[in-house]
Amino acid sequence: MTRKRSKTINLATMRKAFALKPLAVGVTAIMASGCADDRQDAKIYTSLEACKTDYPDAVQKCETAYETALEESARTSPRFNSEHDCEYEFGANQCQQVSNNGHSFFMPFMTGYMVSRLLSPGPMYSQPIYTSYSPYSSFRSRWVTADGHVFSGDIGKRNYKVSPSTFKAKPTVTRTVSRGGFGSSVRAKSSWGSSSRSGGWGG
Amino acid sequence: MFRIPVSPRSDWQQQAAEFGFHFHTMYGEPYWDESAYYQFSLAQIENHIEDPTAQLHQMCLEAVDKIINDEQWLRRFCIPQEHWDMIYHSWQERAPSLYSRLDLVYDGKNPVKLLENNADTPTSLYESGFWQWLWLEQQVDKQVLPRHSDQFNSLQEKLIQRFTEIGRHYSIDQMHFTCCKDTEEDRGTVQYLQDCATAAGFQTDFIFVEDIGLGDTGVFTDLRDAPITDCFKLYPWEFMLRESFGSALYEANTHWLEPPWKALLSNKALLPLLWEMFPNHPNLLPAYFADSTTRYNTGKWIKKPIFSREGANISMLENGEETRLSDGPYGEEGYIVQAFHPLPVFENNHTLIGSWLVDDMPAGISVREDNAAVTQDLSRYLPHIIA
Repeated sequence: MTRKRSKTINLATMRKAFALKPLAVGVTAIMASGCADDRQDAKIYTSLEACKTDYPDAVQKCETAYETALEESARTSPRFNSEHDCEYEFGANQCQQVSNNGHSFFMPFMTGYMVSRLLSPGPMYSQPIYTSYSPYSSFRSRWVTADGHVFSGDIGKRNYKVSPSTFKAKPTVTRTVSRGGFGSSVRAKSSWGSSSRSGGWGG
Repeated sequence: MFRIPVSPRSDWQQQAAEFGFHFHTMYGEPYWDESAYYQFSLAQIENHIEDPTAQLHQMCLEAVDKIINDEQWLRRFCIPQEHWDMIYHSWQERAPSLYSRLDLVYDGKNPVKLLENNADTPTSLYESGFWQWLWLEQQVDKQVLPRHSDQFNSLQEKLIQRFTEIGRHYSIDQMHFTCCKDTEEDRGTVQYLQDCATAAGFQTDFIFVEDIGLGDTGVFTDLRDAPITDCFKLYPWEFMLRESFGSALYEANTHWLEPPWKALLSNKALLPLLWEMFPNHPNLLPAYFADSTTRYNTGKWIKKPIFSREGANISMLENGEETRLSDGPYGEEGYIVQAFHPLPVFENNHTLIGSWLVDDMPAGISVREDNAAVTQDLSRYLPHIIA
């Protein structure tokens, strides 16, 4: 007899030990699938010195990679409205307050940076990397990128092979000229519904 | 079709925390209720629900084809003219859809009746695809339910499969997901779809609707200024088309889920159109535009705005006398009337069937109960079995 329900569901992937609410980032593992050939070596450094030790002849590039990651971090790190929400995800004293265009929010300190193609002739790749010290977070003792990619293994692991699709070029955007152009109907209509399930816009 | 009391799993709340099901209680009221379940026969599921669901969906697609080629209907559906091209092209290109939910009246005996089509932003997906599935597995394991119990619920399997197909269709392995701020239920639904997409090999990135940006090259951007090229949105087209970024939609060329043509199906104007195209169809209720009929002067009718959410702005018309059942901010675009067809009552609960489709394949049902006869305001979700 044919079953009318899903045959199996991978329960491990359905467990969410963290609250979704403060989380501004999706949680996905970087895919290790696909062709092994086209993946590139990448390494995580937690200090500028460590990079310089690896590349004594390319100290300048280490500095550029570090600076790039810091700038990226300021721009792209997960943002939280409250220190509590940030520390819930990243741990006590792991967050800083930042003000931008009159908005104040909290973001985690960059723990390290991931570097790829440092000595290659083409463009070098560098991005900020974070980890969490919070017992409530699925990022605890894991390396995670600003947009929530969680790398395999714990923070002891520093060397990775990453798919180029990780840095795949998207349509060019030099800058975002405006935000907030969607969502106004919600503000206009959400004062209704009082006691009822007024929150969602699904049906 | 029976409603059968059953012992809740003693640890279900703990499990809910573990699995991230945070909206099982909403606004102080229980939403997930496993103190009872509904039991259907396989024949009821397959003949009375599954087959009509597939057929109703095909009828809806025929309706899209009619609307899209007829200016009069586009106006009747209150689709802003500047977006006709985008919707037309999304239909011509058969831009893939992900899912929908038909709300049906079903009492176990008589033909189902279509109340509405939630074709654009249906929720209660996580509870249906995963949580009630888990409930069944565990209750069978504990021998609370018989071994042969089944459930009409292949949602998760089909959603993953559909994401795989959509990935191939657009040659993509990354997608953005978006919903509004401050709603745990919507965020949970979107996270579930992210999980399904991840299982299909996608990298998923989340952004709140309010945070979406417009780049200098005309594409939408996320908070890192990265372009949003492919995006699942749990946010209604009828809002997006009218908001300030609406005028950027066509140029931005984003692949949206649901695609723009779904704007035609989530619209209550669909109901009178279906009745006109398929008069006296056993699974349809008589429906008309309120401004083009006086039939509501006799009998019982429900009056609904062309656009509305969460059962807002609904009235009952009884021999022409109007009783307001719910307030709300909708109605400026006009109303439709639909013949009143009571929900079946089980132990004082008014029971509504949500029948899911993934693309055009029936994929399961959800059962919701409410204390009120018409407005599904604080409804409770109950699991079901086939036995």
